[in-house]
Amino acid sequence: MKGWLLGYLAFAALSLAFPASVFAQGFQELRFGVYAYRPDSIIQERYQPLADYLSGRIGIPVKLQVLGQEEMSQALASNQLDFFLTNPSQFMVIRSERSLTGVLATLVRKHGEVATASLGGVIFTTPDRDDITGLADIQGTTIASPGRHFLGGFQAQALELKEAGVDVFRDNRIKLVRSHDRVLRAVLTGNAEVGFVRTGILEELIAREPTLADRIRILNRQNLVGFPYVVSTRLYPEWPVAALPHVTSDIVRRVASALFAIEEDYPAALSAGIAGFAPPADYQSVEYVARELRIEPYDQLPTLTWAELIRQYWAWLVAILILVLLLIGAMLWLGRKKRELATEQLRLRRLILSWPQPMLMLADGEFVDGNRAAVELLGFSVPKSLLGKDIAAFSPGLQPDGQVSRQKMQKLLSQVRQGEVAQVEWAFLRSDGSQIWVDMTLAPVHEKGDAQPYVLCSWYNITRRKEAEQRLRLAASVFDNAREAIFITDLRGLVIDVNDAYREITGRARADAIGRLPPLPLEEGIGVFSSARTAGFWSGEFVGKRRDGERFNMALTISGVRDEQGAISHFMGIFSDITRLKAQEKELRTMAHYDALTHLPNRVLFADRMSQVMAQARRQDDLLAVVYIDLDQFKPVNDAYGHKAGDELLVEVANRMRAELREEDTLARLGGDEFAALIVNISDPAVLENLLVRLLHAVSLPVPIAGGVVQVSASIGYTLYPQAQELDGDQLLRQADQAMYQAKQQGRNRYCGFAGAEA
Amino acid sequence: MHRRHFLGASLAAGFAALGLGGCGTARPLRFGIHPWIGYEPIYLAEEFGWLPSAVALEKGSSALDSMELLKSGGIDGAALTLDEAIRVHVAGTRLMVVGVTNVSVGADVLVVRQEIKNLDQLRGRRIGVEMSGVSGTLLLNLLNLAGIPRDEVTLVDLPMDEHVSAWRQGEVDAAACYEPTASVLQSLGGVRLFDSSQLPETIFDVLVVTRQFADLEPDAVRALLEGHFAGLRHLVRNPYDSVYRVATRQGISTAAVRSALASVMLPDLASNQRYLARNGRIERVARDLSEMLAREGMIPRALRVDRFCNSDFLPRSVA
Repeated sequence: MKGWLLGYLAFAALSLAFPASVFAQGFQELRFGVYAYRPDSIIQERYQPLADYLSGRIGIPVKLQVLGQEEMSQALASNQLDFFLTNPSQFMVIRSERSLTGVLATLVRKHGEVATASLGGVIFTTPDRDDITGLADIQGTTIASPGRHFLGGFQAQALELKEAGVDVFRDNRIKLVRSHDRVLRAVLTGNAEVGFVRTGILEELIAREPTLADRIRILNRQNLVGFPYVVSTRLYPEWPVAALPHVTSDIVRRVASALFAIEEDYPAALSAGIAGFAPPADYQSVEYVARELRIEPYDQLPTLTWAELIRQYWAWLVAILILVLLLIGAMLWLGRKKRELATEQLRLRRLILSWPQPMLMLADGEFVDGNRAAVELLGFSVPKSLLGKDIAAFSPGLQPDGQVSRQKMQKLLSQVRQGEVAQVEWAFLRSDGSQIWVDMTLAPVHEKGDAQPYVLCSWYNITRRKEAEQRLRLAASVFDNAREAIFITDLRGLVIDVNDAYREITGRARADAIGRLPPLPLEEGIGVFSSARTAGFWSGEFVGKRRDGERFNMALTISGVRDEQGAISHFMGIFSDITRLKAQEKELRTMAHYDALTHLPNRVLFADRMSQVMAQARRQDDLLAVVYIDLDQFKPVNDAYGHKAGDELLVEVANRMRAELREEDTLARLGGDEFAALIVNISDPAVLENLLVRLLHAVSLPVPIAGGVVQVSASIGYTLYPQAQELDGDQLLRQADQAMYQAKQQGRNRYCGFAGAEA
Repeated sequence: MHRRHFLGASLAAGFAALGLGGCGTARPLRFGIHPWIGYEPIYLAEEFGWLPSAVALEKGSSALDSMELLKSGGIDGAALTLDEAIRVHVAGTRLMVVGVTNVSVGADVLVVRQEIKNLDQLRGRRIGVEMSGVSGTLLLNLLNLAGIPRDEVTLVDLPMDEHVSAWRQGEVDAAACYEPTASVLQSLGGVRLFDSSQLPETIFDVLVVTRQFADLEPDAVRALLEGHFAGLRHLVRNPYDSVYRVATRQGISTAAVRSALASVMLPDLASNQRYLARNGRIERVARDLSEMLAREGMIPRALRVDRFCNSDFLPRSVA
């Protein structure tokens, strides 16, 4: 008590000694603003002692100004205040608007015997509101609060609610009633459901009106040992005292020291209900609340301009830009690649579809895809006809090797599934019923993820080859089995191949035959081939020689074998053994021209010879004679000794006559006992007559026959050629016949010439 | 008897059963904790909901609880003093220091009778100490510093709660202890001859996790540390609130909380980075400490790990 009394005395003394203006470098009075968190009159009453105390301690009158929020702002804006005491939230706003020297001191409040430099918020409702028991229940209620810039009257509670998931700005109606007292009134009268006040208010009000304690209920009550007030939120530092910048540091220092000097028992402290002032607190936690709630001065987020953004993050932006460009580039590149790939795929597909060789894809043994050639090969017009069917569906029941088509294909497919490539000749039945041959290749196409491999199936049409093979087989069979000998030579005529008949006919082994000339007559061999070469073939008959030297007749045809250019590359010869044919032919010819008994030419051959020699005689101007010979007394011999004896006689007579004639002369038997002779080159009639005499003599000699000896004679007539008029053979023979008749007339066994033959 | 026991005795039982069975898909970090001013940030983080579900606190009454649970595999990490951590590690549960909660700067005290004026006069005296606790560490360091061989003093191994009676009966001439025992002894005429503030950066309280868990769920460990630093910020930056909460939890006055806070240094994130660095302070202290404890026969062997601490789990910044 003595301290402040002394202070007052000192102040009084100083006031007397110096005018106010002299104090403190021109400050005639210090204006001390105190924020009216409760009704002005109460604050005025409580803090006037503090103002008085300060006046006394620093020697300058201190004028207390109790101000509302806006009043204080205006007063500060016009520098109407030198110091102020206000709640931390308000202080934050002021500090953000003006440059302050910082906090001089922090208020320490006192309740009963307990002092605290902390404040918090109280959340309360009325006891009848059973539905509001926790923070979450406050959602949607009407809240009464003194104002947003009250730390203990709004912000502390708002933060707790926010952390409990209740956004009071969004979820609640907030009535700002400007003072803590009115908050209580609003809640009690039902104007608001929930009230926000700072710590200490309720205790003060209850002290004045004790029944109040039963009319309110505290929400989210914090159990904080040693804190003198009920509280619903976490705590924050108490009110700060701050000086404005225009106040000199000397004054600030003196005010601060005066504030710190206040003891609990000073009237200024007792009146204001405080324990004094503590060194400035750290108001960061208050700042944090405002920031979290986006309340002034942190209600505006700093706007970031593009320039700032670019300046700060240019490296990132460039990097992102590069990445984006790279990405776009990569996408374009990928897109192009994809298009190229699609084109390529289309091209490949077209290629496969139009590829002339049939190709198909099998899955699980059934066609799933195929090109045009495959469809056409099977005689269909659209691929749909094939899809979903297996290979056996287009095959005959049995393959040419005798296996059942379906079983054979299953075997093949199981082979292919094990990774092998199968190749097989396969017969298909086309839609028109015709059969075709293909050379089929089945290859597995492994795709990842396929349970069973696809099978690529390609066909090569070998029907024509197969047919050619069949023809060849036929030809080979003909070659091998022909009765005719067949040989093939090269252009030089050397044998390349021969068949079995060749070996049989010629008696030469195949090895002997090949590489040698075929059995052609030596003198004709070259001519045969050259005529075969020019005319395409040659055919003829001649005598060949077997290996053992035996001769045989052969009929040979040689043909040129032409190559693709039409030039002859080989010769093929075909011949048969015609020896027997030839013999038969000769026999027949003999039978036609010779007398079977005497083997002399018969009438036909005689006539032929006669015309020949007649022509010769005409050409060479020779003389010839046609002689007609008839045996005398032949019939009695025949009758007496029989025909056999007659025939023997005829043969003997014929031989004798033949022996008398020259080689160039011809003796023929005209029939019965009649003979005729052609005598050529008669140089002298005496020769003829001599010959005729020899003939008569030869005939007249006795002939031993079976059973005896007989003797016959002959009557001979002759005529000469050429004569005066041209004659034919018949006429000549008739002349000779007439002459013979004449000889007969004249007594037989003589000769007689045709009268008038000498011309 | 471990010192942390004193501070938390009143509340411990109530919380002991809590904190198990966290949620989330990953396995939660079961973290053993007991009341001590250095561990308050984690309690605060839990109170304000700054610990995610990946961390489940296993609240015990003393470090002994945490040590036993660590050894039996009942928890995956704990807040312990560095020497306690070394003991558990050497006993077989491989641990890793992932955070430093506080450095003792006066919390551990040597109180002596008035006639002892300096450390040298301790020779031949009887010194009461709980050798298995952090006081043992203080005393061993102190003797080292003073150059007094072990056999020149008589060490009376006393649980902390028997120090006062032993003092009264004159059984000891000095006591290595900590608050509140130290204040009691002072009121009985004792003098603070030495305290941990004279052993700068030697007595640490740390956050440890098993190496197995750290490999398995590194994110849960990071979440724990984020919660710790958020709580630390509140404790340091808003003492106007935190002292009341600490006082409430520990059942002591706000003034006692303030003086407790004064006896420890609470390293922030940057300091943690420094302490936990490769070849940083913790690494060196842990090695020296383990060698000393091994020499004294208090642990079977010294640390044999390449790195006992790991700064990889510290948050990059505190929001």
